[in-house]
Amino acid sequence: MRWFGFGFNAFGQICVHNELSKDEGRDTVSDVKIMNPTELHRNVDKSVCGRNKCLKTSQIRASWSRRVWLHVDGDSCVCLAGFGGTSVVDSSGCTDTVLSETHLTLAFSDRIESWDLQKKEKTPAWSMEIQPPTDTSGPPLSLPLVPGGYIATKPPFYRSLSPHLKAKSLALGAEHAILLSATGAVYTWGLGSHGQLGHGGLTSEEEPRAVEALWGMPMKHVVTGGWHCACISDGADLYIWGWNESGQLGLPSQSLRKGHKEESSQQAADCQSASINPGGKPLEGEKDKEVFISIQAFPALLDISPSCEIRTVSCGSRHTAAVTATGDLYTWGWGEYGQLGHKNLISTDEPQCVDFFKEQKLYVVDVVCGPWNTFTAVGEEEVKLS
Amino acid sequence: MTALWSKLSAVLPPNEEEFPLQFSDKVESSVVSVLQQSRRQLYSDATSTDRTLTAQIILDLSWEKLNTGTWRDVDKEWRCVYSYGCLFKVAALCREHPSADEILQGIRTCDMGLLMGAAIMDNVLQVLVQILQEEVRKSTKEDEQHNITSTFRVKTERPRVPVIKDEQAVPRIKCPSLESFKSDYLLPLRPVILEATADHWPAFNEHPWSVEYLRSVAGCRTVPVEVGSRYTDEEWSQTLLTVNEFIDQYDGAKAVGYLAQHQLFDQIPELKEDIRIPDYCCLGDGDEDDITVNAWFGPGGTVSPLHQDPQQNFLVQVVGSKYIRLYSPEDTDKLYPHQSSLLHNTSQVEVENPDTERFPEFARAPYLECVLQPGDVLFIPVQHWHYIRSLELSFSVSFWWS
Repeated sequence: MRWFGFGFNAFGQICVHNELSKDEGRDTVSDVKIMNPTELHRNVDKSVCGRNKCLKTSQIRASWSRRVWLHVDGDSCVCLAGFGGTSVVDSSGCTDTVLSETHLTLAFSDRIESWDLQKKEKTPAWSMEIQPPTDTSGPPLSLPLVPGGYIATKPPFYRSLSPHLKAKSLALGAEHAILLSATGAVYTWGLGSHGQLGHGGLTSEEEPRAVEALWGMPMKHVVTGGWHCACISDGADLYIWGWNESGQLGLPSQSLRKGHKEESSQQAADCQSASINPGGKPLEGEKDKEVFISIQAFPALLDISPSCEIRTVSCGSRHTAAVTATGDLYTWGWGEYGQLGHKNLISTDEPQCVDFFKEQKLYVVDVVCGPWNTFTAVGEEEVKLS
Repeated sequence: MTALWSKLSAVLPPNEEEFPLQFSDKVESSVVSVLQQSRRQLYSDATSTDRTLTAQIILDLSWEKLNTGTWRDVDKEWRCVYSYGCLFKVAALCREHPSADEILQGIRTCDMGLLMGAAIMDNVLQVLVQILQEEVRKSTKEDEQHNITSTFRVKTERPRVPVIKDEQAVPRIKCPSLESFKSDYLLPLRPVILEATADHWPAFNEHPWSVEYLRSVAGCRTVPVEVGSRYTDEEWSQTLLTVNEFIDQYDGAKAVGYLAQHQLFDQIPELKEDIRIPDYCCLGDGDEDDITVNAWFGPGGTVSPLHQDPQQNFLVQVVGSKYIRLYSPEDTDKLYPHQSSLLHNTSQVEVENPDTERFPEFARAPYLECVLQPGDVLFIPVQHWHYIRSLELSFSVSFWWS
């Protein structure tokens, strides 16, 4: 499987500066902001790993300044790139990873280890032993979920979760969390200031609370960015809510249009603002008046045109990327570091297809966003939706 | 080196070693490394593109941190990082021969740091913005003052000026002694208008405040502006505008903009010179530094809904007039405060157009009222409910003290 990356690269987390061609007047800006999807360099990691097996990457995770690859075929191997340079972590038997700005957490069959990336210590900053699952019928846990709870990005690392939630997967935002239960129900909690909890208000929740607007519609995938959440239903529909400051919801964003207006200094549009949309659906624009969404406090169904089934979705701090069942990648939201892959640095509030992969006849099968960048796994042929 | 840059660099440390960048472990080492890179670029011959790029990374990241959690909970360290980002960006913008527009951007960047960041390096952004503002003034003088059209013009239709009934008028008194003010008003917590106690302010004499004066002192400075007739409205929002933009935009416009509850005098010390802290504030227990001075500037029609504040207040009217109504905290049960914790100090009642069905008790609440005129100083006792509507272009200054 081949992986491509684009967006924020100030630490060389996508590709190392000196490996890019120095000619053709390449400047610092294009080193820091990778606008064209760039294939993650196999050679570097091969030489560092010293194994050809690393060619098959199974997982990528990204923080603001780093990226981690987990290769699980044969003896597993974890490679870090970005701030602090490229390195291989001693990680034989590792099955899953999660990366924050300060910690790298590794899951093994019998333990979880969190390593402090800012200190060069020989032992993990935190670890816990786990029992191999006794009930093999349940879904295997994926990080940051661990038996009985989950691993937070800052201490205390272990936070317990009620077994009644039947947690299947969990995603952590800047100050909030979204959980998917085995039954397909969605729970959110934490800070609600930007509508990121999807309960219709801006209040915070101490404890996991079911997103009632999604009741009766089982979900199969949940993700979150800095201040927004997205999920995919069993029927492959995409739902999204939270802050739309950079167009990350794919709904009309006033701050974005204003910015464009300032730049192009035209279009004195008579526009009406709707700062908080309490309705379940994006408001219909009146004639001659555009309605903008600043905060979408309930889940909104987002149609990507032409309408299609969504295979997977991932959120950066202020952007969103979705893969369709036909292997196309769509991105929207904040684009100033090239994280949308549209070969420019423009933010957009409309989901747009990333032409690069179409032009290269590559089928996108997976997408993982870092806060300010995006990584995609591609295949040469169409991979049928299982 | 340009003359401007030599002035700016003179207030910065002479070299990289003497430029402080100390943070707690709240700020990750990756972020510190970008800050250090920016500092290195400041003292080396990096290109202005590279300098701007690094500064923008710092600003983008700290902006995200400032928007995470509630404002109160944002760690001061991150507000410092934001200020450093502003400092580095200003230095990048104004290093080589900056255009007039780049200088204005530099001023805006300093103001963003002053508004959202925390003071760094003896409040260096305050010093930098003075230098930049001086530069702008020099060039506008060279341009020969183009005829500034007066804005916020007196509207042709007269504002609704309520008739004040004698028995409900806030009492007026001329320059009482400290003792009599204390015994007659402060201790019994009775509202009063003190006349002729602010007459000596430069704002009424050497530098008479007006729209033109404000433009000349602060026209290019960025300030927070409330948009919408009252802060309890759904459409209400806050935006950042320069004083000039604010004056141009809301002149005769349907939407009402209000520069409200802003510590303008900390941001623009020149304006602070024009006002004086009322002597009566010394009757409080607090230090003079603990007095919060806010500016309130806007066209006719701005409304502050009926609300109460946790401190004593002197509201000084400098330009224009305001209609004010006051209710005692003893009558809070008739004023229907909002239930939410955020607005529990604000009444749900539209004072001049009350919904008598929803709020039947409101009409029974006794009140005092007045039209505050230039030179008037209104004492609003702590916790006293007050409703304020500007009748024309208005500039007031409030002093919160304890």
